[in-house]
Amino acid sequence: MRIEKCYFCSGPMYPGHGVQFVRNDCKIFKFCRSKCHRMFKRKKNPRKLRWTKAWRKAHGKELIVDPVFELEKRRNRPVKYNRELWQNAIGAMEKIVEIREKREAHFIMNRLKKGRELEKERDFKEVERDLCLIRSACAGEKKKEKVTVEQAESDEEMESVLENGQETVTVIEDGVVKKRTVNGQPQPIQQQQQTIGYGFTVHG
Amino acid sequence: MPGPYRRKKSNRKYTGFGKDLKTKHRSKDLDEITEDLKPVNVESMIRQKIDYDLPGAGQSYCVHCAKHFISEKALREHLTSKPHKRRLKALEDEPYSIEESERAAGMGNYIMPKKRKVIDHDEILDELEEKASSMLEEESGTVEPKTVDSEETVVK
Repeated sequence: MRIEKCYFCSGPMYPGHGVQFVRNDCKIFKFCRSKCHRMFKRKKNPRKLRWTKAWRKAHGKELIVDPVFELEKRRNRPVKYNRELWQNAIGAMEKIVEIREKREAHFIMNRLKKGRELEKERDFKEVERDLCLIRSACAGEKKKEKVTVEQAESDEEMESVLENGQETVTVIEDGVVKKRTVNGQPQPIQQQQQTIGYGFTVHG
Repeated sequence: MPGPYRRKKSNRKYTGFGKDLKTKHRSKDLDEITEDLKPVNVESMIRQKIDYDLPGAGQSYCVHCAKHFISEKALREHLTSKPHKRRLKALEDEPYSIEESERAAGMGNYIMPKKRKVIDHDEILDELEEKASSMLEEESGTVEPKTVDSEETVVK
């Protein structure tokens, strides 16, 4: 008994499964399931359907050339039973399958590596292009302006904190600048007060 | 290689096959047609014997599409049509075979399908004519060397 390969999807066909179609030129086509048989009847090309092994191999998705593929072959010559040969063959099959799986996985991982590199490159490009979304192009210039304003502010505060030993606060009411003690009693407006730019007061 | 089949179908319910899918109505596959297109077989396919059971008595046959036409005119019309051109394109790829399916399954190294050059109907006819004329020449050519020989002998 043999485990045949499906004509369409190249999957394994275990005994008791699948259908055969014998064309009038004596060629035998084996199909693992009705899906594959139907596709054959519709004259679909397995190389053009993504779910077949033929597509995956023809499009470089899987390992194609390797000595690992040389063991499993159609051998139509009968061999006389030999216990040692049988044992060796079984051992070799297991080992080869192990190696094949490793190599196939390695091939796929290598293939995917390239995609990751391209992704990184694309990300770098995107960041470079849309850098203004993260940090404004004129962010440095504004900072310099702010520094000058802050200096003016701090100068004013120094004066307003303590006057005559009492803590006072400058308050703007109806456009007129008043000074208040912490207790809440309003103080008469000092005439020397002047208003300059930015809405800050300067005591002359 | 051309791309995959269209994934989205505009009308999914309409399959357009019906009885054509039955084995009784099965037309030739691409690998059979490639066999027919081989120089050994082409002549017998393109110039068939008169058979009154076939459409047009089997006198106008398109080898690429494996189809009989009722007249030379109908054949000419077919040769300029889209289905025929599509078929020519499909024949450019090597046909899928049982061996390829086994190689894809891991029985031996997978060999990439190759592109081929496909000769159209008229070109095949031209080639056949050339072949026939060259055959005639050869026949006459077998006579010619003798005359050359005789001339040489005369010179000698």
